[in-house]
Amino acid sequence: MSAERWKEDEVLLERLRKGAPEAVTELLRLFQGKIFNLAMSILKNESDAEEATQDVFMTVIRKADTFKGNSALYSWMYRICVNTCLMRLRGKRRNDTVSIEEFMPVFTEEGMHASPMDDWSKEVERKALNEELGQMIRKFTDQLSEKYKVVFVLSDVEGLSNEETAQILGLTVPAVKSRLHRARLYLREQLSRYLLEGKAG
Amino acid sequence: MNCKELAYMLADYFDGSMDPRLREELDSHIALCEPCMRFAKTYRTTCDKTRELRMDIEYQIPQDVRSRLENFVRSAALKYPEMVKEYRDQAEREQREKVEGLILAAIAGKLSSITALLVETHCAICPVCKVYFDGLPRAGSPAPGAPPTVIHSHVTRLMESLPPGEEFFLA
Repeated sequence: MSAERWKEDEVLLERLRKGAPEAVTELLRLFQGKIFNLAMSILKNESDAEEATQDVFMTVIRKADTFKGNSALYSWMYRICVNTCLMRLRGKRRNDTVSIEEFMPVFTEEGMHASPMDDWSKEVERKALNEELGQMIRKFTDQLSEKYKVVFVLSDVEGLSNEETAQILGLTVPAVKSRLHRARLYLREQLSRYLLEGKAG
Repeated sequence: MNCKELAYMLADYFDGSMDPRLREELDSHIALCEPCMRFAKTYRTTCDKTRELRMDIEYQIPQDVRSRLENFVRSAALKYPEMVKEYRDQAEREQREKVEGLILAAIAGKLSSITALLVETHCAICPVCKVYFDGLPRAGSPAPGAPPTVIHSHVTRLMESLPPGEEFFLA
């Protein structure tokens, strides 16, 4: 973490501890979008995500005193958010998730690709396709179980390093890498099928 | 290396964390294997597109949720300094009671064996606490008042080193 970042976090937290109203506004401005997005990706329901976001901010304000600056403020907040959301999911019926195995690449016994491989990387360069593609990526990743989903959102969508994601989720770096890779393999396969269908239809 | 092994190494291949010699091996496989070339390209594109389309993939916070959240958090935060004071006072009160409870248990000879051991080990290296504990009245005499601050803080630390869920007194 850079020294400036740490200093900015520390200043904001210090103002929060004193209960400065502008500090609360600043905290909201910086994080409400990100926290809501993360809560939505885990809970997949707007009113649950809203309540979880409220809880996260209240926890952060309440615990501003005990925050130790050995990680960045945002990664601390993500961690609180993941915990809050997973607690909420407990005991609830999970949303339908797809089996990731169905979308892993298939190989012959000799370890060669068993299914025909299409290169659609050029096709998606067209900007006109972007909006649709973004929605498809969201739809497909929404079907992943939390185990893969959270890692994918933090690392590939939010752009955190594998180390940061590992720290937030309390996982090892190899575990993060392996889940992330499987999530990408799954998404690659889903996109392939989707784009191929589009061509056929 | 076969295609399957290659597929499972692609993450390292693209994030640059791969050993250069292994990387060369992957490069030469990809150069000769059409399916792997296509696979690697589309894997890479999947990652790139996710990053590029981040704004479309993220859920945007709706305006009404945003304003409700801001009102809620702001008004709760205004009450926060009072809440904190109340919470701290309560925590302090509870801690004082616990320390006094431990001292009463010591007088009554009712410390749990692990606590008695902790106190004994601590007194062996801390003259202030040794004098205090040695000087405690016998069971049955009137209870001593609140201990001095230094004793309070040492006893607090002793209690913190008890395993979670472990009580300091014998039932």
